[in-house]
Amino acid sequence: MKKKSGLIVLMLLTLLGTGFSQNCAQTRASQADSDLWNTHGCWNAFFLWQYQAYDLRSGDWNNRGWDDACNMDKEYPKHWNASYLVTYGLQDNNQFSFHGTVDYRGTSERWGNNYHDSIYHAPVDNNGIFGQFVTHIFGSNEVDTSCPLYDPNVAPNANPASRGGDFMHEGWHAWMDKYNWNNGSCGGHRCGPTGNCSTTNCDYFYFHGIGAYAFGAMWENNGSASRFHSPNQVQVEYLCDVADYPQPWVPASVRLAARADANQRAAQRFINGPGYSCGNPRPW
Amino acid sequence: MRWFQGVLVAVLGLTCIAQVKQKGEEKEAATSPQQTIQQSTAPSAQQPPLASPSRFREEQKLRTAPQFVLNGPEVKRSVERFVAWAGATHIEEAETVRKSIANVKENREIATALCDYAFESAKVDHARTLVSLALLGEMRHPAGQECLRRFVHLPFPEKGTIVDGEIIEQTNLAMLQAKAVDGLAYLHDPKADEEVLWAASKHPSRVVRAEAIDAYLWNHGDSAQAREQLARVVRPDEKIFLDRIRRVQGENAESFNRKLDGYLKSHPDRLPPKPEQQAKKVTKRPQTMDRAAQERLAQDRVAQPVKPTEPPAQ
Repeated sequence: MKKKSGLIVLMLLTLLGTGFSQNCAQTRASQADSDLWNTHGCWNAFFLWQYQAYDLRSGDWNNRGWDDACNMDKEYPKHWNASYLVTYGLQDNNQFSFHGTVDYRGTSERWGNNYHDSIYHAPVDNNGIFGQFVTHIFGSNEVDTSCPLYDPNVAPNANPASRGGDFMHEGWHAWMDKYNWNNGSCGGHRCGPTGNCSTTNCDYFYFHGIGAYAFGAMWENNGSASRFHSPNQVQVEYLCDVADYPQPWVPASVRLAARADANQRAAQRFINGPGYSCGNPRPW
Repeated sequence: MRWFQGVLVAVLGLTCIAQVKQKGEEKEAATSPQQTIQQSTAPSAQQPPLASPSRFREEQKLRTAPQFVLNGPEVKRSVERFVAWAGATHIEEAETVRKSIANVKENREIATALCDYAFESAKVDHARTLVSLALLGEMRHPAGQECLRRFVHLPFPEKGTIVDGEIIEQTNLAMLQAKAVDGLAYLHDPKADEEVLWAASKHPSRVVRAEAIDAYLWNHGDSAQAREQLARVVRPDEKIFLDRIRRVQGENAESFNRKLDGYLKSHPDRLPPKPEQQAKKVTKRPQTMDRAAQERLAQDRVAQPVKPTEPPAQ
């Protein structure tokens, strides 16, 4: 979802909303979150890098585990748990993967690069969205992630794969903003339902083969539909890469959640869909 | 009522001013060049530092599969322990999980306990439910078949929380029912196949219909006969799912790309239109800013690391 800032009234309302709203519930973590967590055991060297690489600000993440970074029930630890998967969790196999870690990190990390102008990550308390990209006139643009990505009581997306998938989705709105692409007027998507898209926020799927993009080249486009990506597509491709070509230590629960999310999104969110189907349907 | 409106406006105004001030102070604290990020704003934990994840994982690999209790009141707890273990397993342990399940494939009590656990978890932990349904499907027990059938027919919620245009309770259940359909299709049993064909055509969710089509085809070796059977029942506007590209583990780029080329040639209507460029946006950082804005921008730039940094080695 994409949002434009600038209207003073909207900004005031947002500030008011931030002031009065409650944090999302932070009482437990999903099995996928705790399984991934148990592969690193709360590695402090990583979160001390991650908060800088994603430009997380203590003011935004207070009361969300900022001072309790090893408590996986809290939002901030869940945020860096997803980053851990993005940073280390993929095989980067030239023969099989859609894209490489360098692409997914470039899309989700803060630094201005080929993928986007500089961004920072913040939490919002809104059960109506997974996340949003907000442009700012001054300073970095903003990638927000919300309750359904953190609270397992609210949504199936409260797992590290889907959370990382949303970093890609919102990061790709930032890519569209950087290069002036118009992806539609419904929160940065085409309004739906339309075509084969059954939700209200629809994208096109710009099909491409394996190896069409060298690792590090996902940001490229040629101005035509033959070399382009939409936010939902980048999200699906990331989830597929987690499900099918992860590092050997990525837990089964994370891979299963990634596949389920990729396939539901590929079936529902594309006007010219369906997108690719990820993985074979053997139960285990 | 005029006095009330006046008070309301005043309260809102004061709150805004207070919050703007607070935000400003926070931002100042976070961006001031005198206070480096490391000194002032780093997150902290209440446990001692860990050496490295790679060593941590080595220690974890020593864990073995928990044994199932075959009957009695302890079956349920042993199933829960197994689900917890299986969810955490690595790719190389997939065969160990399959073998453990194959060893108990005749055991009705275990199948029933797995089924109960899947239903119990459905509203509280999506990933755990996926793991439970996956194990139940892999087991291929008649009690599992009945359970998966019941799961696929759980009433589909018509109302709920709308998240990004979808009713999240629907999506949650649909993703789980899609996993249950995978288990039914894997049974290779005529009655189970009937259920899969029903799901492919009549399930209220497109997510489940799509998975049913894919699972039916895959479990019938993507045969022409399976395609014909499906073509007779699927919705006319969903016949495209019969030709959908499936990316599977171990399939190389050449094979996948050949399939994709064929798909796009047979379905030129699936090619997306040319992306639209929008009018050149207003310069992001206008030159005509006041001093305060200029100061804020300068501070923000100072706070950005000069170069991206690399994550620590595992």
